[in-house]
Amino acid sequence: MQSSLEIKNCELYRQHEQLLSLNEQVKGGDILTIMGPSGSGKSSLLNWLTGTLPSGFSANGEVWLNGENINNLPTHLRHIGVLYQDALLFSHLSVSGNIAFAMPKGNKKHRLDKIDHALEQVGLKGMANRHPDNLSGGQQARVALLRMLLSEPKAILLDEPFSKLDTQLRVDTRELVFSQIREHKLPAIMVTHDHSDAEAANGKLITLNLAK
Amino acid sequence: MSVISKSVPVNTKATTQCSTDMFTRIVKFSPRFLLALLILPVLGGLISVLLPAFGYAPVLEQTTFSLQGFNALWQTPGLTQMVTLSVATGLISTLLAFIITLMILAAFFNSPWLNRIQRLLSPILVIPHAAAAIAVGFLIAPSGMISRLASPWLSGWELAPNGMFPHDSFGISIILGLTLKELPFLLLMALGVLAQPELGKKLRQQHKVALNLGYCPMTAFFKVILPSLYPLLRLPLLAVLAYASASVEMPLILGPNTPPTLAVAIMHWFNDVDLNLRIKASAGALLQLAVTGGLLALWLGGEKAVKVLFSDSLTNGVREYGGFYWQKITVVLTTLVISFILLSLIGLVMWSVAGFWRFPDAMPEQFTLLHFKSALMQMGSPLFNTLAIGLVTTLFAIILTLLCLESEPLSDKPISRFTSLIIYLPLLVPSIAFLFGLVWIQQLVNNQAAFFNVVLTHLLFVLPYVFLSLASSYRRLDPRFAHVAASLGAAPCKVFFKIKLPQLFAPILIAAALGLAISFGQYLPTLLAGGGRIATITTEAVTLANGASRRTSAVYAIMQMALPLIGFILAWVLPKYFFKSAQR
Repeated sequence: MQSSLEIKNCELYRQHEQLLSLNEQVKGGDILTIMGPSGSGKSSLLNWLTGTLPSGFSANGEVWLNGENINNLPTHLRHIGVLYQDALLFSHLSVSGNIAFAMPKGNKKHRLDKIDHALEQVGLKGMANRHPDNLSGGQQARVALLRMLLSEPKAILLDEPFSKLDTQLRVDTRELVFSQIREHKLPAIMVTHDHSDAEAANGKLITLNLAK
Repeated sequence: MSVISKSVPVNTKATTQCSTDMFTRIVKFSPRFLLALLILPVLGGLISVLLPAFGYAPVLEQTTFSLQGFNALWQTPGLTQMVTLSVATGLISTLLAFIITLMILAAFFNSPWLNRIQRLLSPILVIPHAAAAIAVGFLIAPSGMISRLASPWLSGWELAPNGMFPHDSFGISIILGLTLKELPFLLLMALGVLAQPELGKKLRQQHKVALNLGYCPMTAFFKVILPSLYPLLRLPLLAVLAYASASVEMPLILGPNTPPTLAVAIMHWFNDVDLNLRIKASAGALLQLAVTGGLLALWLGGEKAVKVLFSDSLTNGVREYGGFYWQKITVVLTTLVISFILLSLIGLVMWSVAGFWRFPDAMPEQFTLLHFKSALMQMGSPLFNTLAIGLVTTLFAIILTLLCLESEPLSDKPISRFTSLIIYLPLLVPSIAFLFGLVWIQQLVNNQAAFFNVVLTHLLFVLPYVFLSLASSYRRLDPRFAHVAASLGAAPCKVFFKIKLPQLFAPILIAAALGLAISFGQYLPTLLAGGGRIATITTEAVTLANGASRRTSAVYAIMQMALPLIGFILAWVLPKYFFKSAQR
């Protein structure tokens, strides 16, 4: 079965003022791009999808992930991974600790091997025991990506994930993230300000307008 | 290239859901538990004081309501003086501490000296009131450091004179002690507000704007910063005022005996062998409540008056009110305060190791560790009690505070205003007014569990400070870390234990050190709830301060200071070794 993330009749409100209404289906490997000015409800949409909508906001509608309604599930059971513009690595854990935190339970040796293998794949060989604060911005972004992927998500949300990286790094990191999404055939939704992100995503583009 | 290797999906849904519910349920229940824990003892205590005050005391076989307690109270000789002394010492010391705090802030705003003064004064915060009183008493006594340093070259005294300090009937010694103790507290509270990332930055920028508009730095502080700062200082100020008007340790050690302050008199009546005096004492406790309540109302009224009086001058364009001279005065005043504190601490240390010490000499002739040795020999059981009560109370306070704070993100709304006000209830209601009632209740319920009673009573005073200290750090945590962890599949309890607690390691230790310091310093709650059977370093120190040798008293006061200081040093050092370096 092809994986898919489906937003059914979503209506998002801030203090009873409607921000957006959306009806979309994202197939595995596709990236839906959402653009719009700040305050148009982009980030709130992502928060709604993960189940962390802050108070003051409300929403109608349903989220279906791989044919299952996940509306009433708490965040940690939704299996939706998120990448933010900050890497948000846990600074009380090492690089490998951060990744291990995300991975399902299992044999310790097996998990560590998997982490080392994954780090090597993204050019961070031998960085497992480093402290995340001592990594460069690009390295941190890659660790955050690995952390999310190894939690084995069923869908991915990208909240302006590349906006803090400079141009060349941005292109490389974006390519890495997108290639992983396509390879694993995961449905993804990206919120961005940058048109080059939207072009690289090469999927459907939705532009939101500011609510009146 | 593939980063994920396919693995069998693990179905942990059922088990996590179950444990989630348990954890979430406990967390969501905790604010209600906190409320009950604070309201019941304070209200119960107040009611149990109210009833005897009106003559209803089944224990004393009095079951008819009457005003005999109040009649006895009104006929007490010197009652007016007692009340006046309580009001004057409370109000003047709070005002002085507040004014000096403002002057220091205004004169040194945005100057490196503010940090230096903060570093010098913050250790004072951990000194229990009793120890501070002992140290100040030594300093101003006829044979204290001040008169030694001034003799004989200035004063001409060859022998210690008959001075009026401490125990002067005007309460000047009490005012001095309270002011020196509360000043660092208020200053650190204000600096804590200014250290809030967003607010602090905004205020510093506004100060700069005022300077650019030609305002002198001190005027800029009073016209631009103070109006935004004051509302955040109101609660600490009221707590200081309530404490100062009803405290027992300071007036007991520094105050006059004939008559003492109202709070001290009430304590004597309650502890009198004549149980019938308890009716009068209960009536006195109500009077104390009225006195403190009146002072708080007076303060709030004064606040309004000041606001009205000065609202025009905020925008009158005057940029300079003799700021140069005020700056100089503040420097002199700050130096005086700091040297006063330093001198009293030096005096305390010297007394604790002094052998023979003739009067005008600034230094003892011999030094000896004898006092320490003999005091330490007898200190075993009080020391154990102090530590055990402090640790149990603080551990409980920290757990409860964390659960309550965790209930905010889990139930998606902040703790209600009512709850956050109630947390400070024990700081605003004079403890002498409800502690006796509380002790009566405790004796009714369980007469034997003195240790438990003391812990429960300490908790009333430890919880507010632990909560105050932890809440700001907890709420400053970036919520996205918790969201990331949850989106990685971590259940709420895993997020709490594996992400939030490690991130909060340093603030938790600071809160723990603060909680320990508060518990170590409690005098009246320990004395009353323990029924006099549980001796701690603080109760011993207060007892010894009136009567025993100055040297033994000094050793106890130093121990009182050392214990909380060790706690804070540990809280400062430990995070450098744990959770700082990467771990696998």
